[in-house]
Amino acid sequence: MDLAFTPEQQEFRAEVRSWMEAHVPKAPLKTLEGREGFDEHVAWERELASGNWGMVTWPEAYGGRGLDLIRWLIFEEEYWRAGAPLRANQNGIFLLGPTIMEYGTDEQKAKFLTPMAKGELIWAQAWSEPNAGSDMAAIRSRAVRDGDDYVISGQKTWSSRAAFADWCFGLFRTDPDSKRHKGLSFILLPLDAPGVTIRPIRQLHGETGFAEIFFDEVRVPVANRIAGEGEGWSVAMATAGFERGLMLRSPARFQAVAQRLVALYRQHADTASPDTRAAVLQAWMDAEAYALNTYHVASQVIAGAHIGAEASLNKIFWSELDRSAHRAAMSLLGATAELRTLPGGKGGGEENAWLEGYIFSLSGPIYAGSNEIQRNIIAERLLGLPR
Amino acid sequence: MDFRLTEDQRNLRDVIRDYLDKEHGPEVLRRLDEGERRDPAIWAGLVEMGIAGLLVPENHGGLEMGLIEAVLVATELGRANVSESIADTALIAAPLLAGDRQEALAAGELRVALAHPINPWIADLANADMVLTGGKTIAAPEQCEALESVDPLRLLYTPMSADADDALLDRAALITAAQLLGAGERMLDLATEYAKMREQFGQPIGSFQAIKHHLASVAVKLEFARPLIWRAAYAAQHGHARAPIHISHAKVAATDAAVFAAETAIQVHGAMGYTYEVDLHFWMKRAWALAGAWGDRAFHRQRVDEAVLGGTLPITPDQTFASE
Repeated sequence: MDLAFTPEQQEFRAEVRSWMEAHVPKAPLKTLEGREGFDEHVAWERELASGNWGMVTWPEAYGGRGLDLIRWLIFEEEYWRAGAPLRANQNGIFLLGPTIMEYGTDEQKAKFLTPMAKGELIWAQAWSEPNAGSDMAAIRSRAVRDGDDYVISGQKTWSSRAAFADWCFGLFRTDPDSKRHKGLSFILLPLDAPGVTIRPIRQLHGETGFAEIFFDEVRVPVANRIAGEGEGWSVAMATAGFERGLMLRSPARFQAVAQRLVALYRQHADTASPDTRAAVLQAWMDAEAYALNTYHVASQVIAGAHIGAEASLNKIFWSELDRSAHRAAMSLLGATAELRTLPGGKGGGEENAWLEGYIFSLSGPIYAGSNEIQRNIIAERLLGLPR
Repeated sequence: MDFRLTEDQRNLRDVIRDYLDKEHGPEVLRRLDEGERRDPAIWAGLVEMGIAGLLVPENHGGLEMGLIEAVLVATELGRANVSESIADTALIAAPLLAGDRQEALAAGELRVALAHPINPWIADLANADMVLTGGKTIAAPEQCEALESVDPLRLLYTPMSADADDALLDRAALITAAQLLGAGERMLDLATEYAKMREQFGQPIGSFQAIKHHLASVAVKLEFARPLIWRAAYAAQHGHARAPIHISHAKVAATDAAVFAAETAIQVHGAMGYTYEVDLHFWMKRAWALAGAWGDRAFHRQRVDEAVLGGTLPITPDQTFASE
């Protein structure tokens, strides 16, 4: 065990820090969940790519820097320390990218990874259906083979970023006689293909960050399938593992939230109740615990370990931590908490970032597999309880 | 940066765990509970395993290991509910003693009781050869009054006059946190095994989501307490200025995890959990006891609170492993 950064790691930190200081937008961007804000965030992705910061862990051949997970954590610490924006690109770089890296052909890697790292192609997810939410194996959307194409029909829902994204990835039933987890395939397709209709869904905060996608005989080349026909479930589970685990929610994001929460507490220390003060402290303590656990897991992965059901422990922890931290902020703000615009127009996108953050935090325990599903996974696969 | 146990550290943990699984199971706890509560043969076995000399320098007959190893061993002692004063003597007191005493200690010939004003009692005073308090050792009193703990295997006595000593408090809180983690892990195991075996409505109760979710929540709490203890041990070993804050953080998290594990485990055991017959109560009562020992939750939260909300500690995301 060695909990000190090497001189090379410290140099890398300094390099990220100085780039971020020079490039991170001074004023907050508009919300990622709306059209205007989405475009601002995509512009930021391209700015990041111009510094070759799109995805530092990817091989250089695909627009990355070929760095290990410790350097990724350092990058994230400096990214959030600098107050940089949310990643419009997250479905691509954190979820689909690693999936293609693991299961894709060389052609697929060449075609999709570099534009992804450069922020040129923004991806949406297409998993859930009206009758396949937590029970994702109940998927009914079909991809019927016709020569070198699949013809896709059906409906997906809760597709994050689908209202604005360029492409989507998801699971489709390629064997019409199959049931449950079998006969599903993992397919990528452009959202401007003929037969695709997007119907944005207004979310709790009023914006349209996710959408329904309708497929009416959409033709997609078979070459857009990742891994074998009928192997989609295991590919999707790997993607879900990335989503729940190490990559999507780096600890620095929550440490930055905790740091801002402590600053907010100091502004309201005179009026804060003891239980709110305790909640603020707990948020900071939990963000630290999450960071330590992530370093522990990252060190194991670097040494060759494979992370499976353990990712569910992480997902529960970060999602509940995020909700608690924002709830504490709402308590500190008291009667101001409900205001979407602050007196005197403090300006810059979502003025009351704590309110927006609290609303968003309520989705954390639901998306990426609800926390109830995560608890089932922990109980069955880590503790060995009967299904 | 490599936040993993080394192979030697994993081996040490596994060897101690295997030994205690074999030699210090629930049947031993019941035998002790019905008899003298301490057993020289158990002490001799722990000394034989090298635990007494774990932190003692090699030139004084020890293994010269550090605090990471100490918390790993303490976790196993908590998991096995070891009640001999080996943790106090070998994992807390040993490095604070003079060389010749360390030699006797490593040989298993010396038991040390710890006196500090934060505790209204002293554990294992009657069988101690000396008392460590305020940075020095004094003779154990000839007579002391025994107190009764809810924990049937804990031996407590009224305090003599004790002097504060931050080094002792920090080390003891760290080792106690590790024991709490071990107790919590064991209680999760006990409840999980019970849920697999106990049937209602024609199936194991562990197949019901109500039970699964309870136990999964305990697994989450324990998982995220563990690296806090390791970081605290590392920081203390390397003399980081933040070590006392990390130790307090670890003690709070381990306490919360162990108490949560205890309350969940009794719930999963149902009425059986409320009996003296089921093994669970040994660990549950130890968790209650250690939760209050060496600074309770409020004390340690306050130390973290003063550093973080009081504003002296830099808390940007790059500071997780900061030494100053």
